[in-house]
Amino acid sequence: MAEFTEELEPLFDYSRVQPVNFFNLDDDELDETPFPIAKRTKISKSEVDKVDDNVNPIQVLECEEKDDDDWLPPPPKFSCDPKILAENSTIKALRLKKQELASCAQSAEDVLRAVEESVKRELQSSMQSSLEAVADQPSKVNSERAKIVISIQDKDGPKQFRVYLDDKFERVFKLYADKAKLDLQNLVFCFDGEKVGPQATPLSLGMEDDDIIEVHSKP
Amino acid sequence: MSGGIARGRLAEERKAWRKNHPHGFVAKPDTLADGTVNLMVWNCTIPGKPGTDWEGGYFPLTLHFSEDYPSKPPKCKFPQGFFHPNVYPSGTVCLSILNEDSGWRPAITVKQILVGIQDLLDQPNPADPAQTEGYHLFIQDATEYKKRVRQQAKLYPPLV
Repeated sequence: MAEFTEELEPLFDYSRVQPVNFFNLDDDELDETPFPIAKRTKISKSEVDKVDDNVNPIQVLECEEKDDDDWLPPPPKFSCDPKILAENSTIKALRLKKQELASCAQSAEDVLRAVEESVKRELQSSMQSSLEAVADQPSKVNSERAKIVISIQDKDGPKQFRVYLDDKFERVFKLYADKAKLDLQNLVFCFDGEKVGPQATPLSLGMEDDDIIEVHSKP
Repeated sequence: MSGGIARGRLAEERKAWRKNHPHGFVAKPDTLADGTVNLMVWNCTIPGKPGTDWEGGYFPLTLHFSEDYPSKPPKCKFPQGFFHPNVYPSGTVCLSILNEDSGWRPAITVKQILVGIQDLLDQPNPADPAQTEGYHLFIQDATEYKKRVRQQAKLYPPLV
């Protein structure tokens, strides 16, 4: 019953639904921090470039038009005058904007560089640690080798064996033959209908806990 | 949606099979040339029951599941021309539990299907013949029938 009421509530209580969405968005962004930052800086840079392109031609135009103003102003120029005035203020605004964006781009670049450096540092440290892990492996193998339980099944039923994932079946087969008091020479072991060689390991066959190896006696 | 149900059920069937199955039986989803597993087709082996004329034979059987599984049963096929009164010339097995309109229930497992077919091998159902040769010999010439069954068992020796 408690579950039912909980499921029904969000249908009406929108304040409960909204924060969940926001959190999801935040989570998504957090998951991929390096990439969105890189994208943003690219965008802001291109915006700055666009602003530069826009500003220069406008200034050139302005000069020409002022020269023209001293002479007979042709009808269309009147309509331009208020525009020029407006452009002066917009140019100021654009310059401010440009500076803003430039500083913004600068800071974004700084952030990017910082991220790159930290990633590089992380990579180096992880490389070192993995190298260390590789170097350490031979000494740790004996204590950390993964074990699984497999069953060896004959007509009378299964017998369980605990084996290392990277243990050759050779050893397990011998154990089984000793336990069942059978001659190893007369036994065939199969996994999923395919013969298991003495050099195979549970890992090489992709075996999982409780998988079954079948024994067949050679006729 | 039903395809998702079929695949989900088949994944469960496979999982259960790996942990527990009768001795001598094999049942595994088909692996394509590129290494991907096709859960909708299973390659199986049914051992002939010890103490019968079928003993010593390991008979290959292919299960073809449809998107409607487990609402509908899989099609079970021996090799073409398989000798048995209840196997069609195409190899398709005729068995009540594999018939959508009679004995099939969605709860029947792959293990039950295979064990059911193993039982059918030595206990044909003369009321429901699917091929003339196997049916006529079974009805009219028990000695010749036995001989043919033993011959066929030798044709399918253990794979290993």
